[in-house]
Amino acid sequence: MYTIVHAILGYFFLLLTVRVLSRRPGAQLTLFEFVIVFLIGGVIILSTVGNDRSITNCATAIIAVGLMHRFVTWLKSKSPRLGRIIDGTPLVLLKNGEYQLEVMRGMRIDPEDIMAAGRTKGVESVFDIKYAILERNGSISIIQAER
Amino acid sequence: MQQAFASKPIEDSVAKVNDEVAVGEDIEFQRKWWKFEKGVWILFTLILLLDLAGVFGRGWLSKQEKAAQDGSIDVKYERIERTSTPSIMTINFGDSAIRDGQVKLYVSESLVKELAAQRVVPAPQTAIVGQGGLTYLFPASGTPASVEFALEPTGPGLRHFLIRVPGSQAVQADVLVMP
Repeated sequence: MYTIVHAILGYFFLLLTVRVLSRRPGAQLTLFEFVIVFLIGGVIILSTVGNDRSITNCATAIIAVGLMHRFVTWLKSKSPRLGRIIDGTPLVLLKNGEYQLEVMRGMRIDPEDIMAAGRTKGVESVFDIKYAILERNGSISIIQAER
Repeated sequence: MQQAFASKPIEDSVAKVNDEVAVGEDIEFQRKWWKFEKGVWILFTLILLLDLAGVFGRGWLSKQEKAAQDGSIDVKYERIERTSTPSIMTINFGDSAIRDGQVKLYVSESLVKELAAQRVVPAPQTAIVGQGGLTYLFPASGTPASVEFALEPTGPGLRHFLIRVPGSQAVQADVLVMP
């Protein structure tokens, strides 16, 4: 009983914490982020299962988290507004040769991050980028300018 | 006959930037979100500061000391405890508590059950059940003399305890157990 309640509370608390951590350029986890993921995961599991380390209790916690995830995914599909709250929206970082400074400052993204994403697309200069878009998963999409 | 998959014609529903790239950006929502994010971080910082101060237990604000009016006992305890987290309650005896080389101590049942006293140091000579609690008997030669209870609350809530040397004034207090 307590495990299920703790797992549900833990899920939403983790969701909030990770969401306010803000998106980071690059969709892959860095070592720095691995530390966050493992540490938060390790701490939350302590209060979720408590002193009951039985397979039954752990299985209950896993099922509760799995069901919550499925429930939230279903809610997101029904409500675009909730989808925006949980996943955010794509944001334009560079538009027609102009950095969108409000967005870049808000998302703590530097021009170097945009250029790093551009290089993966074979872009040699920032002037060759028409649009740079920060996606919901944290990656930066590049649309090249026509020459 | 094979049943056809359900299908729906595509729509250009994603908002465009400069009327050419479908991005679905919602900058107004994002501005609100940044404000919310700022509020959450302020709240998180506040929670940490309060925790450091001991508002949620295990800090200097949570420590409390209460003495019986007649000076028979003085109890040091934590007024804010945490579920399943060990803590120590210390009971110091005054001169009037020690009679004939021994000291008797009555503790309410809540101290044993809800605040879950795990052990008593030193171990009492006897423990008598009754009157809604337990009466311990310890051999004692003189002051300073103290007894420690190792507590580990079983669940969250407001708990009340009462401790006294039989025939003397009692010390009673509330303990808030955090989840």
